[in-house]
Amino acid sequence: MTTGPVIERRVASPHSSSTRHKRARRGKDALLAWGFLLPSAVVFALFLVYPLGRTVYLSMHGNDIIGRPSRFVGLSHFAEMATPQFGQTLMTTVLFTVGVVVPGVAGALVIVLLLEGVIKGQRFLRGAFALPFAFSVASASVIFSVFYSPGNSVLNGILYRLGMDQVPWLTSQEMALWSVCITTVWMNLGYGVLVLAAGIGSIPKEVNEAARIDGATGPRLAWDVTIPMLGPQLFFLIVISTINALQSFGQIHILTAGGPVGSTTTLVYSIFQDAFAYGTSDFGRASAQALVLLLVVLVCTMVQFGVIERKVHYS
Amino acid sequence: MTTTFRRRGIKAAALIASLGLFLSACSSEDGGAGDADLSAPGPEVLDDLDEAVEIEFWHSMDATNGQVLDGLIEDFNSQNEGRVHVTGSFQGDYDEALAGHRAAIQQGDTAELIMIYDLGTQFMIDSGQTVPAQSFIDADDYDTAPIEEALLNYFTVGGELRSFPFNNSTPLMYINRDAFEEAGLDPDSPPTDLAEIREAAEKLTVTDDDGTVVQYGFGAAVYGWFVEQFMARAAAPYCDNSNGRDGRATEVLFDDPKIVELVEWWDQMIEDDLAVQIGRNTDDGQAAFTSGRAAMTLESTGSLGGFIEQSDFEVGAGYFPLIESGDPGGSIIGGASLWINGVGHSPEEIRGSWEFVQYLLTSEAQSTWHAGTGYLAVNTEGYEGAEAQERAEEFPQFSVAASQLADSEINENTAGCMMGVMSEARVAAEEGWETALTSDTSAEDAMAAAADGVARTIEEYNASVE
Repeated sequence: MTTGPVIERRVASPHSSSTRHKRARRGKDALLAWGFLLPSAVVFALFLVYPLGRTVYLSMHGNDIIGRPSRFVGLSHFAEMATPQFGQTLMTTVLFTVGVVVPGVAGALVIVLLLEGVIKGQRFLRGAFALPFAFSVASASVIFSVFYSPGNSVLNGILYRLGMDQVPWLTSQEMALWSVCITTVWMNLGYGVLVLAAGIGSIPKEVNEAARIDGATGPRLAWDVTIPMLGPQLFFLIVISTINALQSFGQIHILTAGGPVGSTTTLVYSIFQDAFAYGTSDFGRASAQALVLLLVVLVCTMVQFGVIERKVHYS
Repeated sequence: MTTTFRRRGIKAAALIASLGLFLSACSSEDGGAGDADLSAPGPEVLDDLDEAVEIEFWHSMDATNGQVLDGLIEDFNSQNEGRVHVTGSFQGDYDEALAGHRAAIQQGDTAELIMIYDLGTQFMIDSGQTVPAQSFIDADDYDTAPIEEALLNYFTVGGELRSFPFNNSTPLMYINRDAFEEAGLDPDSPPTDLAEIREAAEKLTVTDDDGTVVQYGFGAAVYGWFVEQFMARAAAPYCDNSNGRDGRATEVLFDDPKIVELVEWWDQMIEDDLAVQIGRNTDDGQAAFTSGRAAMTLESTGSLGGFIEQSDFEVGAGYFPLIESGDPGGSIIGGASLWINGVGHSPEEIRGSWEFVQYLLTSEAQSTWHAGTGYLAVNTEGYEGAEAQERAEEFPQFSVAASQLADSEINENTAGCMMGVMSEARVAAEEGWETALTSDTSAEDAMAAAADGVARTIEEYNASVE
């Protein structure tokens, strides 16, 4: 809210000769504002408000065999979610998100901080570390599926030559989720490096110099000066990669298809399975889960803004 | 052209609306044979056409198989100039094609002819869009004698043939002949039951000095289709009401002691390092075999061509194994069949599709199809064709599938389960099986829990079509 109109309103007395003129101008302004807003409002309504409304509608209906909403079922799709299986899906979603965000952001930070110490070839190395960002989810997942492939795993081949035990990357319920996490972290690392490298470049030189004069070096400098100064970028990365993790689909679909025994079925994957997989078209149940996902993303983001953003230092 | 199209759209919408009411009134009858208004037009409708009738054919054949199919379509079109013109349209894999067809039904704009996988059969009947294959056969006095009996058996529901078999296969056991010879086993008599597989695997498994396995005896994907096959061979029905043929199925029976035995055996094989743990992805199972990691595997006949091409050892093929020696055997076919859409289509289009299907079922077309793809020749006279003969001479393994099917007794077990939620049931069977392999849950509990889970889905489906 700007103060402009408020002042204007205070100045404009009801008996002033210019009132009519001003009112007319304000009406014209408003019209103009609405005119400018209209295109984005239409797009917003068409691609956000309508689908959301439709999702709510579908979530309260059962489907016929062709997938058309055929009968009103109220909130029973939501009530049906109270199963241990759905609890496991939510738990998997949380584990996956933590397993992707924490190592992803920390890894990017460590790489960027270490690269600060490299003078020669720093730009090249930054570029190299940012490269995974250029891979599409599908191609990265296909490459990792070769690394993990049961029976012919490239990684197991390496472990074998090192005389180490074989790892059931995708075939064990305990391991599969972490294998998918590793792939996702690798894919996200590039973006993290890109964002943090830009952030580190924008820290004023005087700050570092002042700290050095005060005798700070190495880890101390990183912990007390560089990382706080990177606050806005780190906060941005945490929020973005949390939302990304909650919405991950491609790597799960290609690597594990949600298995073994649902151990990598996250909320998004469960929505996909109900709506499209195995010839099902249970859009009602899928829509209900989609609303739960919306709620989860909303709560996560609000908590992050409420808790972390308070500690972020904007210079 | 545009006007007819639009008119067709409106007509289709009206038909679908009325059909919806109609179906809800009559589909509770067993077999759903109530599509009285969908009849087969005679050949006269194609006389005196101003221009060739356009047939859009949705299918799921890509790569090599797609090319062979395109060749057949071209051949048909050149024989029927000015009369019928077919355009093939690849729709993605079977699941995607079925999803696309669902959307097309919603919009009232289905293709004239569609290929739908075996698991979609009950859904196709319940959605009431197609002209039953039997109507064409009856109207034309079409001779089905040369068509493989097991295939007709599979696609016959309620005494009526519902769709035309086309790209069909059965699973086989594949062996690495070189590994068999090295282990002192006879590659010409591959194992025939679980006990024999284990015995052979004990000899085929090779470990290095540290005890790490470098070659496993056995390795196959946890693939629900195999459960269906194993049950048919053990003469155990997959679902109740005689495999859903005497009435709608209400529960699946894959928690049968035979299947529990199979899962326990599988688990023990992995535990004892005789089999490699593959998971559910069949590509991984194929790779384990072609790379020489696993000396025996289970796969569809459709994989034979690829196996021969990709492996650097000699590939052998045998019958799909029995759970126990003495089981009656027999196999269920897999793959897809062709459905002619009636709702929203003119008699000319319906007749045109049937003409094309007749062409595909000729022995000449089937010879080309079998030799090019490895699928069964639906018309058994196709095996005598020049191309099929040439292929059989070069690779005798190609004839194993046909003789396995010929040896198979035709009964309700080998007809396979007919159910609207077959694909979900298959996934549930895989989940139960995989649970037993990857956790402490016993095979018995895991399969029982999986079967119970399907009951709810079946109930929902049956409620929505009755």
